[in-house]
Formats: sequence, C-alpha cells, structure tokens
Amino acid sequence: MDMFVMGLCFTCIGLAVTALAFAAATRQAAAPPAAQPELPAVQAAPAQFFGDVAQPAVPLAMQVPVQLLLERIENHVRLEQAVAESFVAYPTHDLLHSKTTSPLIN
Amino acid sequence: MEFELLRGLTAREAEQVLALSVRMTIPSGGSLFRLGDPAERLYLIERGRIRLSFPLLLRGQHEDVVLEEKTPGETVGWSAMVPPYRFTLSATAPLETEVIALHREALSAFFAAVPEIGCRVSFNLAVLVGQRLQLVQTMWMREMQRTVELHSAHLAAVQ
Repeated sequence: MDMFVMGLCFTCIGLAVTALAFAAATRQAAAPPAAQPELPAVQAAPAQFFGDVAQPAVPLAMQVPVQLLLERIENHVRLEQAVAESFVAYPTHDLLHSKTTSPLIN
Repeated sequence: MEFELLRGLTAREAEQVLALSVRMTIPSGGSLFRLGDPAERLYLIERGRIRLSFPLLLRGQHEDVVLEEKTPGETVGWSAMVPPYRFTLSATAPLETEVIALHREALSAFFAAVPEIGCRVSFNLAVLVGQRLQLVQTMWMREMQRTVELHSAHLAAVQ
C-alpha cells in the first residue's frame, strides 16, 4: 500500500512539473513577437565570375574624357550665369531655386 | 568704339583718359594675365575677345574653365584698381586681340588732377564690380542650396 501511495505521489509531482513546463512553453509561444529593429536594406551584389572580383569599379566620372567633362562644366557655368543674370534683373525665390538642364546636376 | 568704363564722359574727356594708355596686341592663344599675378593695369578691349578662366582640379590636374568671354568695349582686369591688386582669374585671347592698357598709378594721378572725370570713371567701375558681385553671389547661393540638398540626401540614405 505504502509503495502504491509513494508511486502515486511521484506520478502526481511529475505530472505537475510537466504541466507547469508546458504552460510556460505555450504562454511564451502565444505572446506577440517583439518588434525587431529594422535592418538597413542590403543590396544584392551583382553576379560575378571569379575573374571579375579583382577588377576595381571605375566611377562613371572617370570614364568621361577630360575634354568632354570640361565642355560640360563650361556649359554648366553658362547656364548658371544665365539664371543668375535673370535673378539679378528680377529677384524671386522661384528663380533663385530654378533648375537648369545642366547634365552636371541632373 | 564706346568703352563701358568711359561711359558718360565727353569725347574730349575720353580722349584725355585714353591718352594715358598703351595699346597692346595679344596673339591668338596668348595670355594677358594669370591668376595670382600682380595687377597693375586694367584693360579695355578694342578688338578681338578675352576669355576669363579659373583653375578647376580635375583628376588631380588643374584645368582652366572659361567663366566669361569679354568682347570689344568691355573691361577686364579691374583687380588693378582694387586692393590687394592681384588678379583672381586668368585672361587669354582665343584670337588676336587688341587691348588698351591703363596703368593704375597713371589713372590715380589723373583722377586726382581731374576729379570730375575720376568720379565718373570710378562710378562706372563700381557698376562693373557690383554687377559681378551680384552674379557671383547668386551663383554661390544656388550652389549652397545644392550642397545642402546633397547633404540632406546623403544623411537620409545613411539613416
């Protein structure tokens, strides 16, 4: 009889511990997920062959010949001067912040 | 030929000023002055053209960028009349060009002797300098606006 009562007690204790563990586990799972900090978007690298990896990226400005770059700069200066002359003749906020067609700033 | 610097003077007065000058011919592609040179003469363009340029650092090398092109009747080199008397731009002739050079000291002495003419010429000079200041100030404000916009866009991209 004593052995039976002892076995019953152990069984009850085991069940209680299991029930508590189960309750704790299910309460955690039911809780809403904590807000995750937003990670900056990572741009996928373009597919490359192994041979391409060693080649440094050349900025676009470096690919333009100096003479062409100079022409663009001088054209930019002319456009800016024209806008500045218009502004000086008739100063307005809109004219001051107006855009030109200069490829240097577009 | 009407020179902007001599506007408002009678023909006789203009002749008096021009009598102080020296004519110079700059060959095609020649230089009238370089940035940083001492500025002792100002120049009235009689024939041809003068290009004013500034150096821009492109890929580690200084390249001259044309800022303005002056035509007959216009004035270049007014730094000769404004301390510290140094040219802040470079001037070259894209084709054979003739200029009338007026030395600062000769002009100053003449203006002291004939203040009516000195006053008129100084007023014309003030108009030229003022117009340049207004243009450059406007271009600077536009450039400043673009710098702020670029900086804001950069900050937004980082955040």
